[in-house]
Amino acid sequence: MTVSRVSLIVPLLLLTAAAPAAPPSATAPGLPPTVMLQTFSPRDAMSVLGHPVVDADGRTIARLIDVLVDPNGQPVAAVLDFGGFMGVGIRRIAVFWSTLRFESGAGTHRIILTLTQDQYQAAPEYRDPEKPAPVVVPVAPEPKPGQQ
Amino acid sequence: MPRKRATKTRATIGLDLLNFFIAGEQTGFGPFVAVYLTARQWTQVEIGFALSLGTITAMVSQVPAGLLVDALRSKRVAVAAGILAVGISALLLAIWPALLPVLTSQVLHGFASCVLTPGIAAVSLELVGHATLGERIGRNARFAALGNGLSAGAMGLLGSYVSEQSVFLLTAALCVPALATLPFIDAKPPPPPRRAATRRARWSELVALLTDRRLLMFAACAALFQLADAAMLPIAAGELTKQKGTHAALVIAACILAPQAVVALLSPWVGRTAELRGRRPMMLLGWASLPLRGVLFALLPNPYLLVAVQSISGVGAAVFGVMLPVIADDVTRGARRFNLCIGIFSLAGTAGGALSTTLAGLLADLAGDRVAFLGLAAAGLAGTALVWLAMPETGSSEASE
Repeated sequence: MTVSRVSLIVPLLLLTAAAPAAPPSATAPGLPPTVMLQTFSPRDAMSVLGHPVVDADGRTIARLIDVLVDPNGQPVAAVLDFGGFMGVGIRRIAVFWSTLRFESGAGTHRIILTLTQDQYQAAPEYRDPEKPAPVVVPVAPEPKPGQQ
Repeated sequence: MPRKRATKTRATIGLDLLNFFIAGEQTGFGPFVAVYLTARQWTQVEIGFALSLGTITAMVSQVPAGLLVDALRSKRVAVAAGILAVGISALLLAIWPALLPVLTSQVLHGFASCVLTPGIAAVSLELVGHATLGERIGRNARFAALGNGLSAGAMGLLGSYVSEQSVFLLTAALCVPALATLPFIDAKPPPPPRRAATRRARWSELVALLTDRRLLMFAACAALFQLADAAMLPIAAGELTKQKGTHAALVIAACILAPQAVVALLSPWVGRTAELRGRRPMMLLGWASLPLRGVLFALLPNPYLLVAVQSISGVGAAVFGVMLPVIADDVTRGARRFNLCIGIFSLAGTAGGALSTTLAGLLADLAGDRVAFLGLAAAGLAGTALVWLAMPETGSSEASE
Protein backbone atom coordinates (compact mmCIF):
# COMPACT_ATOMS: atom_id res chain seq x y z
CA MET A 1 0.00 0.00 0.00
CA THR A 2 2.75 2.42 1.04
CA VAL A 3 4.72 1.67 -2.04
CA SER A 4 1.94 2.64 -4.42
CA ARG A 5 1.37 5.87 -2.50
CA VAL A 6 4.97 6.91 -2.85
CA SER A 7 4.99 6.15 -6.53
CA LEU A 8 1.94 8.39 -6.89
CA ILE A 9 3.44 11.30 -5.04
CA VAL A 10 6.64 11.45 -7.02
CA PRO A 11 5.06 12.08 -10.43
CA LEU A 12 2.73 14.61 -8.86
CA LEU A 13 5.67 16.45 -7.35
CA LEU A 14 7.43 16.39 -10.68
CA LEU A 15 4.35 17.70 -12.44
CA THR A 16 3.97 20.56 -10.03
CA ALA A 17 7.63 21.48 -10.26
CA ALA A 18 7.58 21.37 -14.04
CA ALA A 19 4.43 23.44 -14.55
CA PRO A 20 5.61 26.99 -15.17
CA ALA A 21 2.30 28.64 -14.41
CA ALA A 22 1.86 26.81 -11.12
CA PRO A 23 1.00 29.04 -8.16
CA PRO A 24 3.83 29.47 -5.67
CA SER A 25 2.01 27.40 -3.09
CA ALA A 26 -0.68 24.81 -3.29
CA THR A 27 -2.11 21.92 -1.38
CA ALA A 28 -1.20 18.75 -3.12
CA PRO A 29 -3.43 15.70 -2.93
CA GLY A 30 -1.77 12.95 -0.94
CA LEU A 31 0.16 15.33 1.29
CA PRO A 32 -0.93 15.57 4.93
CA PRO A 33 -2.63 18.92 5.81
CA THR A 34 0.27 19.90 8.06
CA VAL A 35 2.44 20.73 5.06
CA MET A 36 1.90 22.47 1.79
CA LEU A 37 3.79 22.52 -1.45
CA GLN A 38 5.73 25.57 -2.50
CA THR A 39 7.59 25.82 -5.77
CA PHE A 40 10.89 27.66 -6.09
CA SER A 41 12.28 28.47 -9.49
CA PRO A 42 16.01 27.92 -9.94
CA ARG A 43 16.22 31.70 -9.80
CA ASP A 44 15.06 31.69 -6.18
CA ALA A 45 16.72 28.49 -5.03
CA MET A 46 19.74 27.32 -6.95
CA SER A 47 21.59 24.04 -6.82
CA VAL A 48 25.25 24.72 -6.06
CA LEU A 49 26.94 21.37 -5.44
CA GLY A 50 29.33 20.58 -8.29
CA HIS A 51 28.62 23.95 -9.90
CA PRO A 52 31.45 25.72 -11.76
CA VAL A 53 32.77 28.93 -10.22
CA VAL A 54 33.97 31.77 -12.45
CA ASP A 55 36.25 34.72 -11.76
CA ALA A 56 35.36 38.37 -12.36
CA ASP A 57 36.24 37.95 -16.05
CA GLY A 58 33.88 35.04 -16.45
CA ARG A 59 36.57 32.34 -16.78
CA THR A 60 35.83 29.07 -15.05
CA ILE A 61 38.41 28.68 -12.28
CA ALA A 62 36.98 26.21 -9.80
CA ARG A 63 34.11 23.99 -8.82
CA LEU A 64 32.04 24.30 -5.65
CA ILE A 65 32.19 20.97 -3.85
CA ASP A 66 30.92 21.63 -0.34
CA VAL A 67 29.32 24.27 1.87
CA LEU A 68 30.28 24.78 5.51
CA VAL A 69 27.42 26.04 7.69
CA ASP A 70 27.20 27.45 11.20
CA PRO A 71 25.02 25.94 13.98
CA ASN A 72 22.01 27.79 12.55
CA GLY A 73 22.52 26.24 9.16
CA GLN A 74 23.68 29.52 7.65
CA PRO A 75 26.49 29.16 5.08
CA VAL A 76 29.89 30.26 6.41
CA ALA A 77 32.27 29.10 3.73
CA ALA A 78 32.36 27.38 0.36
CA VAL A 79 34.89 24.64 -0.40
CA LEU A 80 36.24 25.05 -3.92
CA ASP A 81 38.40 22.76 -6.09
CA PHE A 82 40.90 24.84 -8.07
CA GLY A 83 43.04 24.04 -11.08
CA GLY A 84 44.56 20.76 -12.16
CA PHE A 85 44.76 18.82 -15.39
CA MET A 86 42.77 15.59 -15.73
CA GLY A 87 42.32 15.63 -11.95
CA VAL A 88 46.04 15.98 -11.18
CA GLY A 89 47.14 19.00 -9.15
CA ILE A 90 43.75 20.11 -7.82
CA ARG A 91 43.92 22.40 -4.77
CA ARG A 92 41.00 22.47 -2.37
CA ILE A 93 40.52 25.85 -0.68
CA ALA A 94 37.72 27.14 1.54
CA VAL A 95 36.60 30.74 0.96
CA PHE A 96 34.26 32.91 3.03
CA TRP A 97 30.68 32.58 1.80
CA SER A 98 30.26 36.32 1.17
CA THR A 99 33.13 36.30 -1.35
CA LEU A 100 30.79 34.44 -3.71
CA ARG A 101 28.21 36.22 -5.81
CA PHE A 102 25.29 34.30 -7.23
CA GLU A 103 23.84 35.40 -10.53
CA SER A 104 20.83 33.60 -11.83
CA GLY A 105 19.32 34.63 -15.09
CA ALA A 106 17.07 32.82 -17.51
CA GLY A 107 18.60 29.37 -17.82
CA THR A 108 22.06 30.51 -16.79
CA HIS A 109 23.28 30.46 -13.23
CA ARG A 110 26.71 31.68 -12.36
CA ILE A 111 28.73 31.58 -9.20
CA ILE A 112 31.31 34.36 -9.21
CA LEU A 113 34.28 34.42 -6.87
CA THR A 114 35.07 38.04 -6.07
CA LEU A 115 38.53 37.27 -4.70
CA THR A 116 41.51 37.66 -7.02
CA GLN A 117 43.94 34.84 -7.59
CA ASP A 118 46.59 36.52 -5.42
CA GLN A 119 44.16 36.58 -2.56
CA TYR A 120 43.38 32.90 -2.37
CA GLN A 121 46.03 30.82 -4.11
CA ALA A 122 48.60 30.76 -1.32
CA ALA A 123 45.97 29.69 1.22
CA PRO A 124 46.50 26.34 2.96
CA GLU A 125 44.47 23.48 1.56
CA TYR A 126 41.19 22.42 3.10
CA ARG A 127 41.71 18.73 3.80
CA ASP A 128 39.83 17.28 6.72
CA PRO A 129 36.20 18.15 7.59
CA GLU A 130 36.87 16.98 11.14
CA LYS A 131 39.58 19.57 11.73
CA PRO A 132 39.33 23.39 11.99
CA ALA A 133 38.98 24.68 8.42
CA PRO A 134 41.32 27.36 7.06
CA VAL A 135 38.98 29.84 5.34
CA VAL A 136 40.04 32.81 3.19
CA VAL A 137 38.16 35.79 4.67
CA PRO A 138 38.55 39.24 3.10
CA VAL A 139 39.70 41.98 5.44
CA ALA A 140 37.20 44.84 5.53
CA PRO A 141 38.27 47.45 2.93
CA GLU A 142 38.65 50.27 5.47
CA PRO A 143 39.69 48.81 8.79
CA LYS A 144 39.35 51.02 11.82
CA PRO A 145 42.64 52.54 12.93
CA GLY A 146 44.53 50.29 15.26
CA GLN A 147 42.64 47.25 14.11
CA GLN A 148 44.19 45.31 11.27
CA MET B 1 58.14 -17.72 -46.46
CA PRO B 2 57.32 -14.10 -47.46
CA ARG B 3 53.73 -14.84 -46.60
CA LYS B 4 54.72 -16.00 -43.16
CA ARG B 5 56.77 -12.86 -42.73
CA ALA B 6 53.80 -10.73 -43.76
CA THR B 7 51.66 -12.46 -41.13
CA LYS B 8 54.34 -11.77 -38.56
CA THR B 9 54.56 -8.10 -39.55
CA ARG B 10 50.81 -7.79 -39.35
CA ALA B 11 50.84 -9.34 -35.89
CA THR B 12 53.65 -7.03 -34.77
CA ILE B 13 51.81 -3.91 -35.89
CA GLY B 14 48.57 -5.31 -34.47
CA LEU B 15 50.21 -5.70 -31.07
CA ASP B 16 51.66 -2.17 -31.32
CA LEU B 17 48.20 -0.75 -31.93
CA LEU B 18 46.63 -2.95 -29.24
CA ASN B 19 49.00 -1.41 -26.68
CA PHE B 20 48.31 2.07 -28.05
CA PHE B 21 44.53 1.82 -27.80
CA ILE B 22 44.38 0.01 -24.46
CA ALA B 23 46.62 2.65 -22.90
CA GLY B 24 44.33 5.29 -24.38
CA GLU B 25 41.34 3.51 -22.91
CA GLN B 26 42.91 3.57 -19.45
CA THR B 27 43.83 7.27 -19.45
CA GLY B 28 40.42 8.62 -18.42
CA PHE B 29 40.29 6.47 -15.30
CA GLY B 30 42.29 7.61 -12.32
CA PRO B 31 41.99 11.04 -10.71
CA PHE B 32 39.73 12.33 -13.47
CA VAL B 33 36.87 10.10 -12.26
CA ALA B 34 36.69 12.28 -9.13
CA VAL B 35 36.48 15.45 -11.25
CA TYR B 36 33.71 13.94 -13.33
CA LEU B 37 31.65 12.74 -10.37
CA THR B 38 32.04 16.12 -8.66
CA ALA B 39 30.60 17.72 -11.77
CA ARG B 40 27.71 15.25 -11.59
CA GLN B 41 26.87 16.54 -8.09
CA TRP B 42 28.37 13.66 -6.20
CA THR B 43 29.43 14.41 -2.65
CA GLN B 44 33.05 13.92 -1.62
CA VAL B 45 32.11 11.08 0.71
CA GLU B 46 30.40 9.16 -2.11
CA ILE B 47 33.32 9.81 -4.46
CA GLY B 48 35.81 8.64 -1.86
CA PHE B 49 33.80 5.46 -1.38
CA ALA B 50 33.55 4.72 -5.11
CA LEU B 51 37.26 5.31 -5.73
CA SER B 52 38.29 3.22 -2.72
CA LEU B 53 36.10 0.41 -3.99
CA GLY B 54 37.95 0.57 -7.31
CA THR B 55 41.36 0.53 -5.62
CA ILE B 56 40.44 -2.33 -3.33
CA THR B 57 39.05 -4.35 -6.25
CA ALA B 58 42.29 -3.79 -8.17
CA MET B 59 44.34 -4.96 -5.19
CA VAL B 60 42.22 -7.99 -4.42
CA SER B 61 42.00 -9.17 -8.02
CA GLN B 62 45.65 -8.91 -9.14
CA VAL B 63 46.52 -12.46 -8.11
CA PRO B 64 43.20 -14.15 -9.05
CA ALA B 65 43.26 -12.36 -12.43
CA GLY B 66 46.79 -13.65 -13.01
CA LEU B 67 45.66 -17.19 -12.18
CA LEU B 68 42.67 -16.78 -14.49
CA VAL B 69 44.82 -15.67 -17.44
CA ASP B 70 47.18 -18.57 -16.75
CA ALA B 71 44.25 -20.97 -16.86
CA LEU B 72 42.74 -19.62 -20.08
CA ARG B 73 44.00 -21.28 -23.23
CA SER B 74 43.46 -18.27 -25.45
CA LYS B 75 45.09 -15.18 -23.99
CA ARG B 76 43.50 -13.11 -26.72
CA VAL B 77 40.06 -13.93 -25.36
CA ALA B 78 41.17 -12.67 -21.95
CA VAL B 79 42.42 -9.43 -23.49
CA ALA B 80 39.21 -9.01 -25.52
CA ALA B 81 37.10 -9.47 -22.39
CA GLY B 82 39.26 -6.96 -20.54
CA ILE B 83 38.93 -4.36 -23.30
CA LEU B 84 35.16 -4.82 -23.40
CA ALA B 85 34.85 -4.56 -19.62
CA VAL B 86 36.84 -1.30 -19.54
CA GLY B 87 34.66 0.02 -22.38
CA ILE B 88 31.48 -0.91 -20.52
CA SER B 89 32.68 0.70 -17.31
CA ALA B 90 33.45 3.92 -19.20
CA LEU B 91 30.01 3.84 -20.82
CA LEU B 92 28.33 3.28 -17.44
CA LEU B 93 30.14 6.32 -16.03
CA ALA B 94 29.22 8.44 -19.02
CA ILE B 95 25.53 7.67 -19.37
CA TRP B 96 24.38 6.53 -15.94
CA PRO B 97 26.31 8.25 -13.15
CA ALA B 98 24.10 6.97 -10.31
CA LEU B 99 25.49 5.15 -7.28
CA LEU B 100 25.05 1.54 -8.34
CA PRO B 101 26.23 1.88 -11.96
CA VAL B 102 29.30 3.84 -10.86
CA LEU B 103 30.19 1.27 -8.20
CA THR B 104 29.70 -1.47 -10.80
CA SER B 105 31.90 0.46 -13.18
CA GLN B 106 34.65 0.78 -10.56
CA VAL B 107 34.62 -2.94 -9.77
CA LEU B 108 34.50 -3.90 -13.44
CA HIS B 109 37.37 -1.57 -14.31
CA GLY B 110 39.47 -2.70 -11.34
CA PHE B 111 39.17 -6.34 -12.32
CA ALA B 112 39.53 -5.75 -16.08
CA SER B 113 42.77 -3.83 -15.58
CA CYS B 114 44.17 -6.75 -13.62
CA VAL B 115 43.35 -9.04 -16.55
CA LEU B 116 44.72 -6.69 -19.22
CA THR B 117 48.26 -6.26 -17.86
CA PRO B 118 49.13 -9.98 -17.75
CA GLY B 119 46.96 -10.60 -20.80
CA ILE B 120 48.97 -8.28 -23.05
CA ALA B 121 52.24 -9.69 -21.70
CA ALA B 122 51.02 -13.24 -22.35
CA VAL B 123 49.96 -12.41 -25.92
CA SER B 124 53.39 -10.83 -26.48
CA LEU B 125 55.15 -13.90 -25.12
CA GLU B 126 53.14 -16.12 -27.46
CA LEU B 127 54.08 -13.93 -30.39
CA VAL B 128 57.85 -13.60 -29.91
CA GLY B 129 58.92 -16.28 -27.43
CA HIS B 130 61.33 -15.94 -24.51
CA ALA B 131 64.43 -14.91 -26.42
CA THR B 132 63.26 -11.51 -27.62
CA LEU B 133 60.54 -10.83 -25.04
CA GLY B 134 62.45 -7.88 -23.59
CA GLU B 135 62.57 -6.12 -26.93
CA ARG B 136 58.88 -6.78 -27.55
CA ILE B 137 57.86 -5.54 -24.09
CA GLY B 138 59.92 -2.41 -24.76
CA ARG B 139 57.92 -1.89 -27.93
CA ASN B 140 54.68 -2.46 -26.01
CA ALA B 141 55.71 0.22 -23.52
CA ARG B 142 56.56 2.64 -26.33
CA PHE B 143 53.15 2.34 -27.95
CA ALA B 144 51.36 2.38 -24.61
CA ALA B 145 53.15 5.63 -23.73
CA LEU B 146 52.17 7.13 -27.08
CA GLY B 147 48.55 6.09 -26.57
CA ASN B 148 48.56 7.40 -23.04
CA GLY B 149 50.15 10.74 -23.94
CA LEU B 150 47.96 11.40 -26.97
CA SER B 151 44.73 10.51 -25.24
CA ALA B 152 45.67 12.49 -22.12
CA GLY B 153 46.07 15.52 -24.38
CA ALA B 154 42.84 14.86 -26.24
CA MET B 155 40.86 14.09 -23.08
CA GLY B 156 42.24 17.15 -21.30
CA LEU B 157 40.94 19.31 -24.14
CA LEU B 158 37.61 17.47 -24.27
CA GLY B 159 37.15 17.76 -20.51
CA SER B 160 37.90 21.49 -20.53
CA TYR B 161 36.11 22.60 -23.67
CA VAL B 162 33.37 20.04 -24.38
CA SER B 163 32.24 18.21 -21.25
CA GLU B 164 33.52 15.87 -18.58
CA GLN B 165 31.17 13.25 -19.94
CA SER B 166 32.78 13.31 -23.40
CA VAL B 167 36.01 11.99 -21.87
CA PHE B 168 34.31 8.72 -20.97
CA LEU B 169 32.48 8.54 -24.28
CA LEU B 170 35.87 8.74 -26.04
CA THR B 171 37.19 6.10 -23.63
CA ALA B 172 34.32 3.78 -24.50
CA ALA B 173 34.80 4.45 -28.21
CA LEU B 174 38.50 3.50 -28.00
CA CYS B 175 37.43 -0.02 -27.14
CA VAL B 176 36.39 -0.55 -30.78
CA PRO B 177 39.81 -0.04 -32.44
CA ALA B 178 41.45 -1.91 -29.54
CA LEU B 179 39.26 -4.96 -30.22
CA ALA B 180 39.81 -4.61 -33.97
CA THR B 181 43.56 -5.18 -33.58
CA LEU B 182 43.11 -8.60 -31.97
CA PRO B 183 42.37 -10.68 -35.11
CA PHE B 184 45.70 -9.56 -36.59
CA ILE B 185 47.68 -10.93 -33.67
CA ASP B 186 47.32 -14.59 -34.56
CA ALA B 187 50.23 -16.04 -32.70
CA LYS B 188 50.46 -19.77 -32.37
CA PRO B 189 50.08 -20.74 -28.75
CA PRO B 190 53.29 -22.38 -27.53
CA PRO B 191 53.38 -26.13 -27.02
CA PRO B 192 51.84 -26.96 -23.67
CA PRO B 193 54.53 -26.41 -21.05
CA ARG B 194 55.72 -29.30 -19.00
CA ARG B 195 53.26 -29.70 -16.24
CA ALA B 196 53.66 -31.55 -13.04
CA ALA B 197 51.52 -34.66 -13.29
CA THR B 198 50.09 -35.01 -9.83
CA ARG B 199 48.30 -32.50 -7.75
CA ARG B 200 50.94 -32.73 -5.05
CA ALA B 201 53.73 -32.06 -7.53
CA ARG B 202 51.83 -29.09 -8.90
CA TRP B 203 51.37 -27.80 -5.38
CA SER B 204 55.06 -28.08 -4.60
CA GLU B 205 55.83 -26.31 -7.87
CA LEU B 206 53.61 -23.43 -6.76
CA VAL B 207 55.24 -23.31 -3.34
CA ALA B 208 58.65 -23.30 -5.01
CA LEU B 209 57.57 -20.33 -7.13
CA LEU B 210 56.12 -18.40 -4.21
CA THR B 211 59.29 -18.85 -2.15
CA ASP B 212 61.61 -18.11 -5.06
CA ARG B 213 64.10 -15.50 -3.90
CA ARG B 214 63.99 -13.70 -7.26
CA LEU B 215 60.21 -13.35 -7.05
CA LEU B 216 60.24 -12.10 -3.47
CA MET B 217 63.08 -9.66 -4.12
CA PHE B 218 61.51 -8.17 -7.24
CA ALA B 219 58.13 -7.86 -5.48
CA ALA B 220 59.83 -5.93 -2.67
CA CYS B 221 61.70 -3.75 -5.19
CA ALA B 222 58.44 -3.08 -7.07
CA ALA B 223 56.67 -2.07 -3.86
CA LEU B 224 59.46 0.34 -2.92
CA PHE B 225 59.51 1.75 -6.46
CA GLN B 226 55.82 2.65 -6.36
CA LEU B 227 56.09 3.81 -2.76
CA ALA B 228 58.66 6.37 -3.91
CA ASP B 229 57.07 7.20 -7.26
CA ALA B 230 53.28 7.40 -6.94
CA ALA B 231 52.92 10.52 -4.78
CA MET B 232 55.61 12.65 -6.43
CA LEU B 233 53.57 14.01 -9.34
CA PRO B 234 50.43 14.78 -7.30
CA ILE B 235 52.44 16.73 -4.72
CA ALA B 236 54.48 18.57 -7.35
CA ALA B 237 51.31 19.40 -9.31
CA GLY B 238 49.57 20.65 -6.17
CA GLU B 239 52.58 22.87 -5.47
CA LEU B 240 52.36 24.18 -9.05
CA THR B 241 48.71 25.11 -8.65
CA LYS B 242 49.58 26.86 -5.41
CA GLN B 243 52.24 28.98 -7.12
CA LYS B 244 50.68 29.57 -10.52
CA GLY B 245 46.98 29.26 -9.83
CA THR B 246 44.77 28.05 -12.64
CA HIS B 247 47.50 28.87 -15.18
CA ALA B 248 49.32 25.83 -13.84
CA ALA B 249 47.04 23.49 -15.80
CA LEU B 250 49.23 23.70 -18.90
CA VAL B 251 52.41 23.06 -16.93
CA ILE B 252 50.75 20.08 -15.22
CA ALA B 253 49.73 18.78 -18.64
CA ALA B 254 53.38 19.04 -19.69
CA CYS B 255 54.35 17.16 -16.51
CA ILE B 256 52.04 14.34 -17.60
CA LEU B 257 52.96 14.30 -21.29
CA ALA B 258 56.75 14.80 -21.16
CA PRO B 259 57.46 11.58 -19.20
CA GLN B 260 55.34 9.64 -21.71
CA ALA B 261 57.58 10.96 -24.50
CA VAL B 262 60.63 9.78 -22.52
CA VAL B 263 59.05 6.34 -22.03
CA ALA B 264 58.25 6.12 -25.76
CA LEU B 265 61.84 6.97 -26.66
CA LEU B 266 63.57 4.87 -24.04
CA SER B 267 61.54 1.66 -23.61
CA PRO B 268 62.77 -0.31 -26.66
CA TRP B 269 66.37 0.47 -25.67
CA VAL B 270 65.66 -0.67 -22.11
CA GLY B 271 64.24 -3.95 -23.42
CA ARG B 272 67.18 -4.60 -25.77
CA THR B 273 69.80 -3.64 -23.23
CA ALA B 274 68.21 -5.86 -20.60
CA GLU B 275 68.54 -8.77 -23.03
CA LEU B 276 72.17 -7.99 -23.89
CA ARG B 277 73.63 -6.85 -20.59
CA GLY B 278 71.26 -8.25 -18.02
CA ARG B 279 68.42 -6.96 -15.88
CA ARG B 280 70.36 -5.55 -12.96
CA PRO B 281 72.03 -2.59 -14.74
CA MET B 282 68.67 -1.48 -16.13
CA MET B 283 66.96 -1.88 -12.77
CA LEU B 284 69.68 0.15 -11.05
CA LEU B 285 69.20 2.92 -13.62
CA GLY B 286 65.43 3.00 -13.15
CA TRP B 287 65.35 2.71 -9.39
CA ALA B 288 68.19 5.22 -8.88
CA SER B 289 66.22 7.82 -10.87
CA LEU B 290 63.70 7.95 -7.98
CA PRO B 291 65.89 9.38 -5.20
CA LEU B 292 67.41 11.78 -7.77
CA ARG B 293 63.95 13.07 -8.73
CA GLY B 294 62.79 13.33 -5.11
CA VAL B 295 65.83 15.37 -4.07
CA LEU B 296 65.57 17.65 -7.13
CA PHE B 297 61.86 18.27 -6.39
CA ALA B 298 62.74 19.13 -2.80
CA LEU B 299 65.52 21.53 -3.83
CA LEU B 300 64.22 23.30 -6.92
CA PRO B 301 61.94 26.26 -6.34
CA ASN B 302 61.18 27.10 -9.97
CA PRO B 303 57.90 25.56 -11.14
CA TYR B 304 59.00 25.42 -14.77
CA LEU B 305 61.97 23.24 -13.88
CA LEU B 306 59.41 20.82 -12.45
CA VAL B 307 58.59 19.67 -15.98
CA ALA B 308 62.24 18.79 -16.57
CA VAL B 309 62.46 16.97 -13.25
CA GLN B 310 59.20 15.15 -13.80
CA SER B 311 60.53 13.99 -17.19
CA ILE B 312 63.05 11.91 -15.24
CA SER B 313 60.07 9.81 -14.15
CA GLY B 314 59.97 8.57 -17.75
CA VAL B 315 63.27 6.75 -17.15
CA GLY B 316 61.86 5.00 -14.10
CA ALA B 317 58.54 4.26 -15.79
CA ALA B 318 60.25 2.78 -18.87
CA VAL B 319 62.45 0.52 -16.74
CA PHE B 320 59.62 -0.52 -14.41
CA GLY B 321 57.21 -1.20 -17.26
CA VAL B 322 59.69 -3.35 -19.15
CA MET B 323 61.31 -5.18 -16.24
CA LEU B 324 58.08 -6.33 -14.58
CA PRO B 325 56.96 -8.78 -17.32
CA VAL B 326 60.53 -9.65 -18.31
CA ILE B 327 61.49 -10.71 -14.79
CA ALA B 328 58.18 -12.55 -14.40
CA ASP B 329 59.20 -14.52 -17.49
CA ASP B 330 62.69 -15.16 -16.08
CA VAL B 331 61.24 -16.46 -12.83
CA THR B 332 58.55 -18.68 -14.33
CA ARG B 333 60.22 -19.98 -17.48
CA GLY B 334 58.89 -23.41 -18.25
CA ALA B 335 56.25 -23.27 -15.57
CA ARG B 336 52.74 -22.18 -16.41
CA ARG B 337 52.68 -19.37 -13.87
CA PHE B 338 53.77 -16.35 -15.89
CA ASN B 339 50.57 -14.37 -15.32
CA LEU B 340 50.30 -15.28 -11.65
CA CYS B 341 53.80 -13.90 -11.24
CA ILE B 342 52.85 -10.66 -13.03
CA GLY B 343 49.81 -10.44 -10.74
CA ILE B 344 52.00 -10.77 -7.65
CA PHE B 345 54.40 -8.08 -8.89
CA SER B 346 51.51 -5.76 -9.78
CA LEU B 347 49.94 -6.32 -6.37
CA ALA B 348 53.22 -5.37 -4.69
CA GLY B 349 53.40 -2.25 -6.87
CA THR B 350 49.76 -1.24 -6.29
CA ALA B 351 50.15 -1.66 -2.53
CA GLY B 352 53.29 0.49 -2.56
CA GLY B 353 51.53 3.14 -4.62
CA ALA B 354 48.50 3.25 -2.33
CA LEU B 355 50.76 3.62 0.69
CA SER B 356 52.77 6.31 -1.09
CA THR B 357 49.98 8.87 -1.41
CA THR B 358 48.83 8.26 2.18
CA LEU B 359 52.28 8.50 3.76
CA ALA B 360 53.46 11.43 1.61
CA GLY B 361 50.20 13.26 2.32
CA LEU B 362 50.79 12.81 6.07
CA LEU B 363 54.39 14.00 5.74
CA ALA B 364 53.33 17.03 3.68
CA ASP B 365 50.71 17.96 6.28
CA LEU B 366 53.14 17.61 9.16
CA ALA B 367 56.30 19.09 7.72
CA GLY B 368 55.67 20.48 4.24
CA ASP B 369 56.12 19.37 0.66
CA ARG B 370 59.93 19.39 0.75
CA VAL B 371 60.08 16.90 3.58
CA ALA B 372 57.50 14.76 1.76
CA PHE B 373 59.70 14.74 -1.35
CA LEU B 374 62.74 13.80 0.75
CA GLY B 375 60.73 11.00 2.36
CA LEU B 376 59.78 9.66 -1.06
CA ALA B 377 63.42 9.98 -2.16
CA ALA B 378 64.43 7.93 0.90
CA ALA B 379 62.01 5.17 -0.14
CA GLY B 380 63.55 5.28 -3.62
CA LEU B 381 67.02 5.06 -2.14
CA ALA B 382 65.97 2.03 -0.10
CA GLY B 383 64.63 0.46 -3.29
CA THR B 384 67.89 1.18 -5.13
CA ALA B 385 69.87 -0.32 -2.26
CA LEU B 386 67.68 -3.43 -2.36
CA VAL B 387 68.29 -3.80 -6.10
CA TRP B 388 72.03 -3.28 -5.61
CA LEU B 389 72.49 -5.60 -2.63
CA ALA B 390 69.83 -8.29 -2.85
CA MET B 391 68.22 -8.51 -6.31
CA PRO B 392 69.77 -11.42 -8.18
CA GLU B 393 70.46 -11.18 -11.91
CA THR B 394 67.59 -13.15 -13.38
CA GLY B 395 68.67 -13.05 -17.00
CA SER B 396 72.37 -13.88 -16.75
CA SER B 397 72.08 -17.63 -17.19
CA GLU B 398 70.11 -17.01 -20.37
CA ALA B 399 72.60 -14.44 -21.65
CA SER B 400 75.57 -16.75 -21.09
CA GLU B 401 73.90 -19.69 -22.75
